[in-house]
Amino acid sequence: MIIAVCGKGGVGKTTISAVAAQALHDRGNGKVLVVDADPAGGLSTALGLTPKKTLNDVRKEIIEEIKVGGRDEKDLSISLDYLLAEALTEHDNLGFLAIGRPEDVGCYCRVNVILRDAIEGLAERFDSTIIDAEAGIEQINRKVMSPVDYILLVADTSAKALNVAETIRDVAHQMIGGEGAGLVINRAREQAEVEPIKNETRLEVLGWVPEDDTVRRFDGRGESFLQLPECPARGAITGALKKAGLEI
Amino acid sequence: MALFEEQLNEIMQQADAWRADGLARELSFEGREPWPEGPSLVLEEDTALELGNPAVASLSVLLWSEEDGVEDGRITLVGPDVAETTETSIPFAQVVVVSGRFENEYESYRDIRDAVYDTRLEGFSTRTMPSKQSLWCRVSSDAAGRGFSLADLGASLIEALKELDEVEAAEVMFITSSAEHVKSLTPAARGAQRVVDALMMMYQEDNYDCETCEYQDVCDTVMDLKKIRQRLDEMKRGSGAR
Repeated sequence: MIIAVCGKGGVGKTTISAVAAQALHDRGNGKVLVVDADPAGGLSTALGLTPKKTLNDVRKEIIEEIKVGGRDEKDLSISLDYLLAEALTEHDNLGFLAIGRPEDVGCYCRVNVILRDAIEGLAERFDSTIIDAEAGIEQINRKVMSPVDYILLVADTSAKALNVAETIRDVAHQMIGGEGAGLVINRAREQAEVEPIKNETRLEVLGWVPEDDTVRRFDGRGESFLQLPECPARGAITGALKKAGLEI
Repeated sequence: MALFEEQLNEIMQQADAWRADGLARELSFEGREPWPEGPSLVLEEDTALELGNPAVASLSVLLWSEEDGVEDGRITLVGPDVAETTETSIPFAQVVVVSGRFENEYESYRDIRDAVYDTRLEGFSTRTMPSKQSLWCRVSSDAAGRGFSLADLGASLIEALKELDEVEAAEVMFITSSAEHVKSLTPAARGAQRVVDALMMMYQEDNYDCETCEYQDVCDTVMDLKKIRQRLDEMKRGSGAR
């Protein structure tokens, strides 16, 4: 099961991804792969895991392999598997990959396709995968997310965030197909604030996550969300995952 | 000189020296059931023993020859087997040598490589970086508990290789004793890789100039490469004439 956490920038995707990863990890759901696909790279801090190597580093190394020549697709695929293992940061039964920030320009479509297929292959060997996607629709548009089984949309209570979530859902439906999707409304103050959104949106609302002092404290101190104790936000996110049928 | 003659001689001589010093022994597969196949992801948490971690010495070499001299089915180990070490991470070298009749060297290289790299055993994860000749393996706690031995890996590799039409005999040597022992094979391994790279270039590149080719020194030494080049040139001229 591959879950992509998507939404407008600044709505709390990274926090939702980190807490969802912790929920799956803590509940003994087997091996969990977490991918930070956002070049801004906040998930590393949220999980307290520092990658030794990013997916962008892996991409650069594969480009070098191609430049050297004499390597066929099989060689590249074998090498990529090795480099991904080097890039994988492990914590108990959780593996973490970070996309990193591309510093170079140019078209790397072939390499990106190889990379996407390799991540898909790696994800198959984990019981569940959570991808913290880049804000907006770019990664959906470019079919980076094509192996995704479920899109966990995140919005705050603003109309703009809800519009972006709906657009992502529509684009994903056109580009990828009929995978499931559901909305989590983040940082709501009370149920009454959520009800109008439920009535307005075409999306299935999985639940709402309250402003939470524990989450705020962990965020402020840069503590790992893998250590997040029971709190209202954690309970709400776990509840949303259950409603979406995502817990194994 | 045959394709890997120099490297084979070097490695075989080193293996004989280790045997003479009592450092190398043959692993027996007698009485063992074939280890179940299956793709494995062994995370650090589940790992009993890591072999060839990038931070320690690691080497993977594939050599083939049309000459006799390969002892079919032999699995040689220099150093401790999985159950014989208290370490959690040890150096690792895997040397695979096959003999047979290789009419198309390029296809044979790919067949041999695929047979080795596609061997997947339950509870044993392998990752390879062909250009660096690195091999990084993990034995899961479960597999170690069930008695996984390098004899199981060796037997599976030999079985996969023997399924190839062109392979007549196959043997495998593992080195787990020390980083020094692993690294002592590096010059031969790098030499073999340059032969493979030169071979790949001949088969993959249509136009190249021997005078400026980076593998000129290899072709000057390895006569079989020159013969292959001549054969390929004749084939190209033949197809052009048609």
